[in-house]
Amino acid sequence: MSASTAEAALACEGLTVRFGDFTALADVGLAFAPQRIHAVCGQNGAGKTTFARACAGLLAPSSGTIRIEGHQLRVGQVNAARAAGVELVHQSFALPPSFTIAEAMEFGLQGQHGALYTRRRLEERWRGHLETLGVEAKPSARIRDLPVETQQAVEIARALAGEARVLILDEPTAVLAPAAAQALFARLRRLRDSGVTILVILHKIREVLAVADTVSVLRGGRLVEGPAEARDMTPARLAQAIIGSNPVPPSAGRTAAAEEVEDLSALVGATVPHGTVHHRAGAQMITTLSGVSTRPAADGQRLEMVDLRVAAGEIIGIAGVEGNGQRPLVEALAGLVPLTAGAITLDGAAMTDLSLAERRRRGLRIIPFERNTEGLSLSSPLWENFAARQLLSHSALRLIKPKMLRRQARAAFEAWDVRFGAVDHPARSLSGGNAQKVILSREIDADARLIILAQPTRGLDLGATAFVWHAMRQARDRGLGLILISSDLDELFDIADRLIVLQGGRVAGEFRPPYDLGPVGAAMVGSH
Amino acid sequence: MGGRLLAIGRAVAFVALALVLCGAIFELAGFSAPDMFAAILDGAFLSDGALAHDLRWACPLFVSAAGVIVAFRCGYFNVGAQGQFYMGAIGATVAVALLPGWPALLVTLVALLAALAFGGLWALWPGWLRIRSGTDEVITTLMGNFIAGLFLIWVTSGPLKDPSGSGQVTSSTPVPAAIRISTDTGVSGWIIGLTVAVGLVTWVLVNRTAFGVLGGLAGRNPVMVTWQGARLSRLGLGAFVFSGATAGLAGAMEVLGPDGRLVSGFSPAHGFTAVLIALVANLSVSGGVIVALFFGGLASASLYLPVIAGLPSAAIDMVNAAIALFITSRVAPWRLVRVPRSRSERR
Repeated sequence: MSASTAEAALACEGLTVRFGDFTALADVGLAFAPQRIHAVCGQNGAGKTTFARACAGLLAPSSGTIRIEGHQLRVGQVNAARAAGVELVHQSFALPPSFTIAEAMEFGLQGQHGALYTRRRLEERWRGHLETLGVEAKPSARIRDLPVETQQAVEIARALAGEARVLILDEPTAVLAPAAAQALFARLRRLRDSGVTILVILHKIREVLAVADTVSVLRGGRLVEGPAEARDMTPARLAQAIIGSNPVPPSAGRTAAAEEVEDLSALVGATVPHGTVHHRAGAQMITTLSGVSTRPAADGQRLEMVDLRVAAGEIIGIAGVEGNGQRPLVEALAGLVPLTAGAITLDGAAMTDLSLAERRRRGLRIIPFERNTEGLSLSSPLWENFAARQLLSHSALRLIKPKMLRRQARAAFEAWDVRFGAVDHPARSLSGGNAQKVILSREIDADARLIILAQPTRGLDLGATAFVWHAMRQARDRGLGLILISSDLDELFDIADRLIVLQGGRVAGEFRPPYDLGPVGAAMVGSH
Repeated sequence: MGGRLLAIGRAVAFVALALVLCGAIFELAGFSAPDMFAAILDGAFLSDGALAHDLRWACPLFVSAAGVIVAFRCGYFNVGAQGQFYMGAIGATVAVALLPGWPALLVTLVALLAALAFGGLWALWPGWLRIRSGTDEVITTLMGNFIAGLFLIWVTSGPLKDPSGSGQVTSSTPVPAAIRISTDTGVSGWIIGLTVAVGLVTWVLVNRTAFGVLGGLAGRNPVMVTWQGARLSRLGLGAFVFSGATAGLAGAMEVLGPDGRLVSGFSPAHGFTAVLIALVANLSVSGGVIVALFFGGLASASLYLPVIAGLPSAAIDMVNAAIALFITSRVAPWRLVRVPRSRSERR
């Protein structure tokens, strides 16, 4: 029952977006019926965000048209899209943290109420609007003090401050705890019933099926499915559309069949995996943290009395809403922030006062949060990126043989199946998945003991994600200790042998398989 | 390889553009551009002994530029070569003044070491401020140039003043001939040897040590090497001190070489030209050799300009400035067309 272009709230035809010689969207034609919730899904790199941004006028398509309620939009102009009633809520929020809610609501509506204002007038003006939309916070509260789900609610309210009739949300659940996602879905249904057409970009099948009226699937920049009625959809059919005909995991044959099924389901978010207790951790402790505390960082994150033990051959998952101490944890393990209390050991020896170079010499390996800034120097040659770790384990004035280092890098990249042009090419020449493989090849070496992986699969497509999981399991089977920090519970449930929930910088719970979404989600938001 | 050719092409294109621009300006101002180019060509390359004259200027310039290359590669914009060059010259002169009666060779060696130390120390404090508290090294090293310049005026008109001097500019007493490393020609085994040694050491440091690779990585992305366990403070201070020391050595090469004494305000464009050489050479040590010879040629040609083209010798400063203008714009003409965003920047 797809809407015809004329009566659709939003319709596009032949929408194509190219970045250089890369085609992000190819000839996408879609029509969205008014006053319904439409999900657009696909794996990372499928073109979902590009589609959302093109519809909102944030980027100019290479070709194609977009119509809002039958009227053709001048493409690539955010103000034209806004005037036509299309608003986008971004993946990462864009409200100024120092603003009050009322100020944030006014932000972007300049000219409508004059340039001068008092806070009280603003708060009065917006109180009603916020209440109607069920935003449970004072209009005078500052954005930075709000929990993430309230920030999102304010974003949505702001998007609806004008005459918006089409609301686009780009991966709104990515930052939310499970319960908050349910609340968001309820909010979206209320908006739909009040007359707003909603486009929501999602990548988890069960979320799609929970909230959407229709589903459309993008794969490799092309529309492969939909808009189809969500009630006629099965998880299996949707997974098939998202993954395509090529089976994903390169781990085929190496992992148990049951594990593979769980992997597949976790990759597309069809069902929540419960994890498997197939692996027995060794008795030997790789790392212990006891009573570790840090000073609050600039963003307020800190650790408070964190106890953590990682045994040989064990993957510890760290769950939590983003910003609850994950970064201080990695930095404390790296020795990049001083501890105010507590101690850390590696292989039984104290590590608390050692430099990162010394920690690395003893087998600590880190895959940092930000692949493109902390993990790699994008403008430097690949071989230099690869060689950095081993060069730092000796004196800086030691003579090196660049030819040999290049050869080592080439061999490692080939062993890790990196698709690269030449080792002299800059790291920016690689795709996200291949860039991550370069980091893996550097950090998972023969001398590694403890590997910390911070959001290692973020932004990767399914094949690359499965590759990273496989590499982690192999490292575990070699008897290494691994700490996986992720905001994707499906990933954690599927991979982690044990799960620690961080909330407000404290350990709010510890879980073992079979995992259950309820208690873990509750620990994440502190209602435990 | 393609990248290297592109860089060379870019540098040549910029220099050519700068020369054409200056020619046009002089032509408009009523001078003869062909005469100007002839004077430069003659003075720099064609006249008798032109190569020797080029080397007289190119050697100290290259030594300073080598240090600038190391600092810039590590991401530290030490533009204080001028001040470090003066401090090195002062250090050498002080060493000579404090060691009367010592064997000449020993005095020369001590003077050279003093120059390295003085230059290095004059780069140490901006480096330390940068690493300890993030003070912008462009500001501190630039201000350091003025302090060093004024200090030079003071020492040459005070403690080290030549009482018998009668010229308008003050200077120290002449360095005894036995201690000097070259005659007034400025070309000698000492000078060439020192220059080659600095070139080799710098090339090995940049291309064949862990410091070179890690410094290059740090220069492009300090965050990444920090996560690999690098101590930026050590890398950075090393780069600062090395670049200061080479500039200091270049100062000694002038005082113990062609100048033969410490002259107030000598070679005022030395540090600026060294920075320019590093940039035109695209921070490559081997490229620096060629570029230093070219700028050495320009410097020696400046003496020919008044004679042949009737232009003031300061015209060469204008050529230098034009080259600086183009090279620091960092935008090649063919890059002015809109470049699509690369894949890695896409979310």
